[in-house]
Amino acid sequence: MGQAEDFDETLERLTPGLRRYARALLSGAVNDVADELVQTALQTTADESKLDSPRRDSPNAVLDLRVDLYASLTHAAQRRLRSAAPHRPSLRQPAIMHRLADLPFEERETLLLVVLEGFTYDEVARITRTDRPVALMRLMRARSALTALDRHPSPGADAGRRPGPHLRVVK
Amino acid sequence: MSPREHVDESELHAFVDGELDAENRRRIEDHLHGHAEDAALVEGWRRQNAALRAAFAQTVKEPVPAGLRTASVTSLTRSFGSGVNWARFSPSKGASLRAMRRSDTSRRLPRRPAIVMSLLTLLAGAVVAGAALLAFTGPASPPAPAQRAIIEPPGLVGHAQLAYQTFAQDARPVEIGADRKGELSLWLGERAGFGRLPDLTEAGLELVGGRLVPGVLAPAGLLIYQSSGGVRAALYFERAGGEHPSAAPPKTAPGLAAVEWRAAGFAFILIGPLAAEVARAAAESAAAQAIR
Repeated sequence: MGQAEDFDETLERLTPGLRRYARALLSGAVNDVADELVQTALQTTADESKLDSPRRDSPNAVLDLRVDLYASLTHAAQRRLRSAAPHRPSLRQPAIMHRLADLPFEERETLLLVVLEGFTYDEVARITRTDRPVALMRLMRARSALTALDRHPSPGADAGRRPGPHLRVVK
Repeated sequence: MSPREHVDESELHAFVDGELDAENRRRIEDHLHGHAEDAALVEGWRRQNAALRAAFAQTVKEPVPAGLRTASVTSLTRSFGSGVNWARFSPSKGASLRAMRRSDTSRRLPRRPAIVMSLLTLLAGAVVAGAALLAFTGPASPPAPAQRAIIEPPGLVGHAQLAYQTFAQDARPVEIGADRKGELSLWLGERAGFGRLPDLTEAGLELVGGRLVPGVLAPAGLLIYQSSGGVRAALYFERAGGEHPSAAPPKTAPGLAAVEWRAAGFAFILIGPLAAEVARAAAESAAAQAIR
C-alpha cells in the first residue's frame, strides 16, 4: 500500500545492477553464465517474497528486496564458481578486471557491493551473512590488494575492442 | 592545526564510502589536511573506485535480454514453468507477426468478393498456364515455380544459424572431435576448401570439433566451440567471393549474436548465444588466424 512502484517494476529496475554485479563477480568474462545467475536470483527471490507478503508492505520493502536479491545472486555465484573452473578475463579487458579476478571471492564480493552497487557496510554484512567488522576487514584487504594498480586508467583498453572494418556484427 | 585524535584506517575507508556522519566527516577531512600520506591513500581508493565503476559501466547501459526481462515479470505469475523464459531460438518475431496478420485479413474479407477473387485468380492461373504451355513447347515440363516460393533461400547468415541450431545443441554436435584435429583439418580442407581450425581460447572458447555441412552453394565447414560455462558457439565457413559481407543484413534469432566477414575467398560467420563483445573478440581472433 502506498508504494508508487509495484513489485515487478522494482525487480525490473534492479535487474541492470544485478547483471553488472554478476559479471563483475564472475570476472566479467562469461556473460551468459552471469545472466543465468541473475535469472536464478530473480526467480528465487520473487518466489520467496510471494510467500512473505506482510514483509512486502513494510516501509523497507524495496531495500529488503534488494538485499535479498544480491544475497541470492552472491550465493548462486559462489556455488557456480566452486563447481566450475574460474574464468579468466580476456587480455583486452582492463587491468583492474584481472586484479579483481585474483581476489578471493569474499573480498571481491565485498568490494563490489560497496563500490559498484553502493551498499552500506551494514547491508553488505547482511548480504554476505557476516557482521560489519568482518565486511570492513574484507573491504580493506581487497583495496590494499588492488592499490598497486592503475594509477591512470588505461585509455588503450577500449581501443582494441572495436571490430575491424571488414567485420560486421549482425543484430 | 588538526586535533590529534587517532584516526585509523577503517575510518578512512568509511570516509571514502560515505559511511560517516557529518561530524566525523569533518574530523577526517581535517585529519587529511594535515596528513598527506593518508590523503594520498584516500585519493588512491577513490581512483580505484572510479576505475571499477568505469570497467562495468557498459553493462548497465546494455538492454536487458528479453529472457531476463520476462523472468522478473513472469516469475510471480508463472504459469509456464521455469524453463520457458530462456527461449533463445524462437522463430523470428517478424515472420510470425506477418503470418498472423495475413490470416487475419483473409478472415475479415466478405465472402462474395472472396469467391469472385478466387475465380479471377483461377482464371488468371489458367491463362498463365496456357501461355506457359504455348511458350515452352519443348518435351520437358516447365519447372515447378511454387517450390521456390515456399522454400526461400535463407542467405548465408540464416544458413549458418540453421547449422548452428541443428548441431550445437545436439547430443553429437561434431563428427570429428578436437582430439583428432589433423583428421578434421584435412577433411574440411579437402571438402570445404578451408582446413584451419582457429584457436579461440583467448576469447574463452575451446574447440569441441567440427563437421562438414551443406552450405548455401557449396559444402561448408562448421566448427563448434564451447566456453567453460557450457555455452556453445559455432564458426561457419563457406566458399564465397567478394570482400564485403552480403548486402542485406539478416536478423538472427533473439539471444544469438552473429558476426560475418569475408576473407581469402570465404565467408565466415561466427554465431552463438554470446555477449556482443565476446562474439566480437572471438571473431577478430578467428579472422586474424584465418588470413595468417
